[in-house]
Amino acid sequence: MPHVTISNKKCTGCHMCELACSAWHEGAYRPSVARLRVNVNPTAMEVKGRTCLQAGCAKCEEICPEGAILRGVITMKASDGDGAAPLSGYVLRVDETLCTNCGECYAVCPNDVIHEHPDRHVAIKCDLCDGDPQCRVFCQNPHVLAVSLRSSKADRELAISQAG
Amino acid sequence: MDFYQGRVLRVDLTSEAAFTEPLNLDWAERYLGGKGLLFRYMWEYVPPKVDPWSPDNPVFLMTGPFAGTNVSTASRLVVGAKSPTTGILDDSYVGGSFAPEMKFAGYDAIVVTGKSASPTLVWIKDDEVRFLPAEKYWGLKTSGVEEALRRDLDPHAKVLSIGPAGENLVPWACLSTDQFHKAGRAGHGALFGSKNLKAIAIRGTGSVRVGDAKAFLAEIARIHKEYVLTDANLWANEEGTPILVDPVNGAGAIPTRNWSAGSFDGIGSINSEAFQKIKTGNRACYQCALACRQIHEIGGVKSEGPEYETIALCGANCGMGDIEALMRFNHECDEWGLDTISSGSVVALAMDLTEKGIADLGVKFGDPEGYVRMPELISRREGAGAELALGARALAAKYGVPELAMEAKNLELPGYDPRGAFGMSLAYATADRGGCHMRSYPVADQILEGTRPAVSLEGIPAQVIGGRVSDGFIGQNFSSVKFSGIWCDFWAVDPNQLSQMMRLVWDKEWSEDDVMRLGERIWNLGRLFNLREGIETDTVPGKLIETSGAFAEGPSTGKAIGRETFKQSLLEYYRLRGWDDNGVPTEARLAEVGVDVRL
Repeated sequence: MPHVTISNKKCTGCHMCELACSAWHEGAYRPSVARLRVNVNPTAMEVKGRTCLQAGCAKCEEICPEGAILRGVITMKASDGDGAAPLSGYVLRVDETLCTNCGECYAVCPNDVIHEHPDRHVAIKCDLCDGDPQCRVFCQNPHVLAVSLRSSKADRELAISQAG
Repeated sequence: MDFYQGRVLRVDLTSEAAFTEPLNLDWAERYLGGKGLLFRYMWEYVPPKVDPWSPDNPVFLMTGPFAGTNVSTASRLVVGAKSPTTGILDDSYVGGSFAPEMKFAGYDAIVVTGKSASPTLVWIKDDEVRFLPAEKYWGLKTSGVEEALRRDLDPHAKVLSIGPAGENLVPWACLSTDQFHKAGRAGHGALFGSKNLKAIAIRGTGSVRVGDAKAFLAEIARIHKEYVLTDANLWANEEGTPILVDPVNGAGAIPTRNWSAGSFDGIGSINSEAFQKIKTGNRACYQCALACRQIHEIGGVKSEGPEYETIALCGANCGMGDIEALMRFNHECDEWGLDTISSGSVVALAMDLTEKGIADLGVKFGDPEGYVRMPELISRREGAGAELALGARALAAKYGVPELAMEAKNLELPGYDPRGAFGMSLAYATADRGGCHMRSYPVADQILEGTRPAVSLEGIPAQVIGGRVSDGFIGQNFSSVKFSGIWCDFWAVDPNQLSQMMRLVWDKEWSEDDVMRLGERIWNLGRLFNLREGIETDTVPGKLIETSGAFAEGPSTGKAIGRETFKQSLLEYYRLRGWDDNGVPTEARLAEVGVDVRL
């Protein structure tokens, strides 16, 4: 599935991606519940981005005892690169009616990005924003372009099976 | 409530009490936020004629309505107070991430009053405010206190701190945040130090609302594409402010060897090209797509910066063409908590006094050794540092040579010599906080191209200094609006673009006239505050305007506007402003622009 990735080398630590992510999903700016994170150490000038790898990882889907992490198919509305076709593949979404907030996914996530929503007390995660990730929309400085889309092996296999 | 949180946090250090009060929405509508709203709160909350060193003198932290949203560059914080250094208002702007964090914690502003009995730190986490003993942090430099507080309080805490310079009440001690960002001028660091306040740390997990968030996101994405990330604005990312060094030097306007020349023979080793060679990356303030922070590394020193002002005042003005020494000096100022403009100016003055044999302060033009030690000595008030800590005016006066101190209203002048950029003489003389270039910036049209706002000059007669008076008037009004948003100066936004964003907050049509009238309103409010508290004559040091002070060589040879022309320009400026010949706003103008207070 397509997933968002942040280049630590290019990222300037501006947090626009977290701001946009939270506004899109929460209806207000609340970066503390963004579904991707950028950790900045201002003294060391170090920046580390953390994103959901979707089906390329899928540990949350695997461990969820309630089957609350559902695999869907998504076609991205935008693409990276010259003339590249928009990516399509799997996206993992939380079904909040099934989630019991047991915390297994929070513990297993290697990038520490799926987390508990402070008000609804269910898991929230990156869902690729209906195909036009807002994090990427707001990282457009031509000298930066730190947020991009990648596909995993699972996505490429899906694409092949759909084409066939 | 959208954009604003509707809450002001009041913190009293004497009683260790904190409470919130509603944001005054009449004032917010009248003055927008940032600079304008700060001035209105200062008018109300600063006791008239208060001694700036008194515990009763408050410090204000004010955000703008767009802090904590996707509006690029609008994450700035303004720190305001009646300055202990100048005795008038100081509004000091700083990037980083503190203002957005204030909004996420639920506050538009923080007002700090009183004085702690012993070193204290204020820790704000959403609704909780705690006063913590800070003895173990007292004496720490910027990196020390930042790392300690992120370790001891919260890894995501934002820190606004003083270094040892502020603790020792050095008149140009600054506030630091995110290590490299400074509320630099007029001694807010000393003000914190006088209150025994080492730092304010804050963490916010709440929301900033903007109405229909998806519609807002789409509008801001458009504004980014059309107005922010244009070729004209990308200089900020590509080169940063060092881009100014060669043009200003070429015009004979860069302060050199304590303002004794307007161009520096060593400029080639500290210009933009020289810094590009040691650049390793870019960083950004919170919520800024331009990412103007230049990371440089040399000789074991790695920093965001130096900015143009530092290169001018701590480089050319100190005769310092040694890039590694300059980087080291800048780093020292960052760590000890000193404004680099004033540091460079005072060290250059000390070099001048030493070389002229007037005093032996252990520093010479171009000599790195004594130079790189100065920020520490000043901060500790040790050795020659104890004398330099007097500031330029007092140090020069002590040795009977007041004409060697380049300052206006006791604020050391920034990096443009009026003998190379005439409009700066009026700019420095009439800036609201003393010798400052950030209010009107005629350098833009006299030396640079295409960076001033496209504002019509129709109906305003061209006057002395080739039309620069009206540019000064317009520039001050425009910057007052820009710094109320609070948009960063490095985004060359115009009044029309501002009005498109302002309409999102206060839903009405803002014409360009409305935008400029708001600026004039804010500027007049600041003037009233200064008149109330007592302000020196609007002027600059004689040698910068008198023909006897003109340079004998260099690109600006022989240039001086003359005292008579300066005087006429000042009167013309007052006339344009609707002020009397003493610089006092008339009732007619105050009423016309909508100032809601009077002397």
